[in-house]
Amino acid sequence: MNVKVKIRRFNPEKDRRPRWSEFRVDAQPTDRVLDVLQVIKENQDGTLTFRRSCAHGVCGSDAMVINGRNRLACKVLVKDVGRSIVIEPLRGLPVIKDLTVDMEPFWRQYKSIKPFLINEDDPPYMERLQSPEARARFDDTTKCILCAACTTSCPSFWADASYVGPAAIVQAHRWIFDDRDQGAQVRLAILADGNGVWKCRTIYNCTEACPRDIEITRAIREVTRAIVTGEVS
Amino acid sequence: MSKLARVTLPSALRYRGGWPYVSWLLHRISGIGIVFFVGMHVVAAFFLYAVQGVAGDIANALTTFYESTPMQVFILFAVLYHAMHGLRLVILDMFPRLWEYNREAMWVQWALFLPMFLLPAALMIMEVTI
Repeated sequence: MNVKVKIRRFNPEKDRRPRWSEFRVDAQPTDRVLDVLQVIKENQDGTLTFRRSCAHGVCGSDAMVINGRNRLACKVLVKDVGRSIVIEPLRGLPVIKDLTVDMEPFWRQYKSIKPFLINEDDPPYMERLQSPEARARFDDTTKCILCAACTTSCPSFWADASYVGPAAIVQAHRWIFDDRDQGAQVRLAILADGNGVWKCRTIYNCTEACPRDIEITRAIREVTRAIVTGEVS
Repeated sequence: MSKLARVTLPSALRYRGGWPYVSWLLHRISGIGIVFFVGMHVVAAFFLYAVQGVAGDIANALTTFYESTPMQVFILFAVLYHAMHGLRLVILDMFPRLWEYNREAMWVQWALFLPMFLLPAALMIMEVTI
């Protein structure tokens, strides 16, 4: 099938404002949007810039706005988006070039919630054991691949980049409810700040955008509840 | 490094977040509508009682505007929608595990909202007095 692809471009060395480029590509319905971008780059315009790494929905490099909605280009098939595809960079993060955004603000928010095990006890001889039930408590939020699709779909983040964002709260959730970790209260204090969970307006865009189907709004509200009650259970 | 990070209102409105996003947008629009409505009341009262002379005409014009049928129907929509959407969020926020059923909760919200809004709105438009 012949597909029309419209891409929002921006080259900081040439362009004063973003512009649109249109391409025509022959693609199979089962091709992924990432394949289409690759064909354009290889055969039509070598200057087209986008991120890709694993290309199998694991690394989270190729999150972009496809037909108006945040998705991973490597997980969306052409047959699911139709013959006319509009591709834009993620909203709310500075554009470096074309579809590549500067992820640095996103990583800063991620680092702010201390995304590592905090445990002052002496390490055991072997691994720290955990029951299947305790592991299941935070299983959903371990699926996050840090693609930024959730954070950049959030109107609260669009309005105020100092908001820690859904992805960082999901990562905090992953550690707060891990019974091997002892830093829950530290993270809850960070997220109780004005730029933490209180800026979530329960818009639900994050949950809709997540390519890993994480129940993000639920995770944010579980963290909120832990802040209010002071209990992590 | 480019600084193209600002998300404009048209760009934000173009985002296809689906029904939950539309639902939230309506919540915001209805909230702003309520603020305007109450604001007009306050301004009309101010002109009517606190300012003398020509201000009375302004008060009357404002009162005629917000007491008109379209405005009354709009405010009925705004107050009812804002309240029911807010209640859904409060309930789901109190029991986070229910967020899994957000879509179903939205259908329940609309199923309750539509008859509660449409019936009185129809009576208002037909100017039926009981």
